[in-house]
Amino acid sequence: MRFFHSKIKIRHLATAFLLSALAGCSGESSAPVIKIGCAAPLTGDQAQLGLDLCRGLELAVAETNQQGEIIPGYKLEALLLDDQRNPAQAVNVAKKFVSDSDVMAVMGHFNSSCTKPASAIYYEARLTELTAGSTNPELSKQGFDTFFRVSATDDVQGPSGAKFAAHQLGLKKVFIIDDKTTYGKGLADEFKKEALKLGMTVLGHESITQGDKDFTPLLTRIKPLAPEFIYFGGIYPEGALLLRQARGLGIPIPFIGGDGIATLILVELASAPIAEGTYATMVGGDVEKIPAAKDFIAAFRARYGELGQWSAYSYDATNILIAAIRKAGVKNREAILKAMREIPSFTGITGEVKFNAIGDNEKQFIGVFQVQNGKLVYIGPAE
Amino acid sequence: MDVFLQQLVNGLTIGMIYALIALGYTMVYGIAQLINFAHGEVFMVGAYFGLFAYSILTPLLSSPGSATLGVFLVFLFAMTLSALLGVVIERFAYRPLRHAPRLAPLITAIGVSFLLQNIIMLVFGPSDKSFPSLIESVTYTAGSVTFTNLQILIAASSVLLMISLHVFIRHSRTGKAMRALADDRDAANLVGVNTNRIISVTFLIGSALAGAGGVMFGMYYNTINFHDGYLAGLKAFTAAVLGGIGNIPGAMIGGLLIGVLEGLGAGYLSSEWKNVFAFFILILILLFRPSGLLGARVVKKV
Repeated sequence: MRFFHSKIKIRHLATAFLLSALAGCSGESSAPVIKIGCAAPLTGDQAQLGLDLCRGLELAVAETNQQGEIIPGYKLEALLLDDQRNPAQAVNVAKKFVSDSDVMAVMGHFNSSCTKPASAIYYEARLTELTAGSTNPELSKQGFDTFFRVSATDDVQGPSGAKFAAHQLGLKKVFIIDDKTTYGKGLADEFKKEALKLGMTVLGHESITQGDKDFTPLLTRIKPLAPEFIYFGGIYPEGALLLRQARGLGIPIPFIGGDGIATLILVELASAPIAEGTYATMVGGDVEKIPAAKDFIAAFRARYGELGQWSAYSYDATNILIAAIRKAGVKNREAILKAMREIPSFTGITGEVKFNAIGDNEKQFIGVFQVQNGKLVYIGPAE
Repeated sequence: MDVFLQQLVNGLTIGMIYALIALGYTMVYGIAQLINFAHGEVFMVGAYFGLFAYSILTPLLSSPGSATLGVFLVFLFAMTLSALLGVVIERFAYRPLRHAPRLAPLITAIGVSFLLQNIIMLVFGPSDKSFPSLIESVTYTAGSVTFTNLQILIAASSVLLMISLHVFIRHSRTGKAMRALADDRDAANLVGVNTNRIISVTFLIGSALAGAGGVMFGMYYNTINFHDGYLAGLKAFTAAVLGGIGNIPGAMIGGLLIGVLEGLGAGYLSSEWKNVFAFFILILILLFRPSGLLGARVVKKV
């Protein structure tokens, strides 16, 4: 298999060389640009999340260009690259961004397992990276001053889920499932710590494999243990299958998960009646109810149709990057990074963002969403 | 005990689907001495054919009187198109390489599998597709074992297909020719068996079974994706090797065994290692009984 990959890669390289040679001949006529990269899974089972993210970015870029040049002489451009939720591919994507001298900032990646290796490459190239989706706490502790995030970290989100289950639902017996990824396992581990602290009974903690389809063996084992709810640290494709198969085996208990299942595709894949009642924690509250977000929602709907669960956050994240580029006033990665560090706080459509010393958002607010009548409904803060 | 029975029921269901795919691997190997690694992809495309048929036949399926007919037509449509796909793959990807070194068609097979994956990704999009259940789900309980009418449908139609295949191979003229070709290609040619035609028929049948498996897979899990063929195909291949590649009853037994062992392994040991069990079995078989459970020891012709 290796052989084929390398062969394909060589062909890609050859094509890239040809194209760049052509561009060198004719590209001088176009206006100089500053590019913001969007790194997300754009194909594969998480493609919808990636589209949600990159569309928010594209909208922010388009709006900036409508207002005129971002800094004198430059237009802004979005560059979307697909990391296929695969860490190895994420590294390739990062290298591509780094080697494109027009790329001044990157919004991404989505999966923590992708952000982790990629962030090292951005650090070496002094390229500012802002993630709106990666939530693993370790990411900001690698000592990379190029790393920023607006999303909540799992060590806040996981415990919030436990508090919500204990305090507001009064549930005591839980079975934990995670998908072995940096995100899923991290979230589930943090949930478990808090759940034990709150005096819950953890009946078990098992892992499944991303991309697998059949979880009935695990669910069959869970059924006689009679948990009151299942906590799932993972993403919606497996979440939807777990829900379906649990209901098929006659397990009616609620599922609680993190932002990885806070999407309408979960409802579609599991089918509306089956997903009904599922809880998901996510950074922020209901975007639709925030007055400042009205224009954004209208513009997004006009351009793409349905509003994605992540789009408002990537829109805010992109606007933070744009603010940093404006503040720097030059097309220089180091200067933009410095400007990013100096942004005191930023109020976007989803609320206030303030970065701490390691690039994490100090203003983490976790809300709970529930699937009601086939829609994700905000039901309140997770506490 | 109840949990054990439940795991057994679930394992048998997915095992039936593995068995249907495994039949295609084993038949093609038996007759053309080729591991058709694109077979898992035919299975995946079959599921998409089923989805396509569903979108056409929605009015038929939604009216209660004709729902059974509708399900039957979805299967028929997916099986027919998969069968044609199999024949086309054989005609254009493998037949020109019939006398090439054995590695060449193997590499072509991997190429065809990439091609099919990417075509499906371009046509149907990269994200998971929701697959309809096609039939109204009814859950039965026997003791504390629950199973659905869908599981019964999968088991019944798989068994029916396998019995038909067995009867066809044992008692029809073409079946006899297939067995003759598997035994000794030169001798079969001498008595007038048309190699190309029989190999085409083999691909036709194997791919139709994979297509049926694809529709069942879609109905059972309700989501399909363009890369679903990879893992399912690999497990079915393991099933074929477990039963003894080239041996038809072996593939059926192998499929069921893989399904059940995987279910029990994931249920009692660790769900985290679920996919490992199938391949662990493959390694054990290759080490201790390379010809498989029912495979005859191949005597090298001198």
